[in-house]
Amino acid sequence: MTTRRTAVPADPAQLSVLTEFLREFGSAAALAPAQVGTFELALEEIFMNIVMHGSQPGIAPRVEVSLNLGIESVTMTVEDDGPQFDPLSLPPPDVTASLADRRVGGLGVFLVRKIMDTVSYERIAGRNQLRMSKRLEG
Amino acid sequence: MNVRIEALAEATCVIPEGRLDFDAAPGFQEALERALGAPGKAPAALIIDGAALEYVSSAGLRAVLLAARAAQRAGVPFALCALQPAVREVFDLSGFSRIIAVHPDRATALAQAKPGRA
Repeated sequence: MTTRRTAVPADPAQLSVLTEFLREFGSAAALAPAQVGTFELALEEIFMNIVMHGSQPGIAPRVEVSLNLGIESVTMTVEDDGPQFDPLSLPPPDVTASLADRRVGGLGVFLVRKIMDTVSYERIAGRNQLRMSKRLEG
Repeated sequence: MNVRIEALAEATCVIPEGRLDFDAAPGFQEALERALGAPGKAPAALIIDGAALEYVSSAGLRAVLLAARAAQRAGVPFALCALQPAVREVFDLSGFSRIIAVHPDRATALAQAKPGRA
């Protein structure tokens, strides 16, 4: 069983650090490139959401990411100690809106829900915890 | 991410290479604005050639959406082409491929971009 864990401040400059972290896990777990890409997208969307919505003036939440390769699926957990916020409560974007009316807000979380098999949110001990999993391919 | 711009007679092609993530999105948006040109100097059409684009997130989608809207306002035909499967999936899931033309390759995109076909 392959497991990795890291923690970074909710700072946009850390996005490339997390991407590298994820790629290292992907090669250790021998994941297909497409599967790694799926998790890269989910991690970017969730992390940037915390950066944009979880920060208070002068305080960046600490974000902890853990990855786990199970027998049938990969699970990623993203935790932060920012204010309580359930990204799954965001209304889905209207993906049928015209070009002129189309909004981008909420699109990141919407994509995460689409590309993952399961996504769940919990507020645990003063932390936001988002847990995602996807079945292994092939 | 590197962005190349090729100005052809039929269209200006913007070619993003690598990852279009949150870090790369502002630079890409700038390149698209540059490609759309100053008022009165707009290209015949604007095409994003995705052959070398490996990854896109919602930050990249936002840049594309803003450019598509600016092109529409300027009356410039706008299209995407040659998207890799993983990138195409993100455009499909987001509904963007319903509001922005997506062509299989650049030749098709250029043929479709001819005046009167927008």
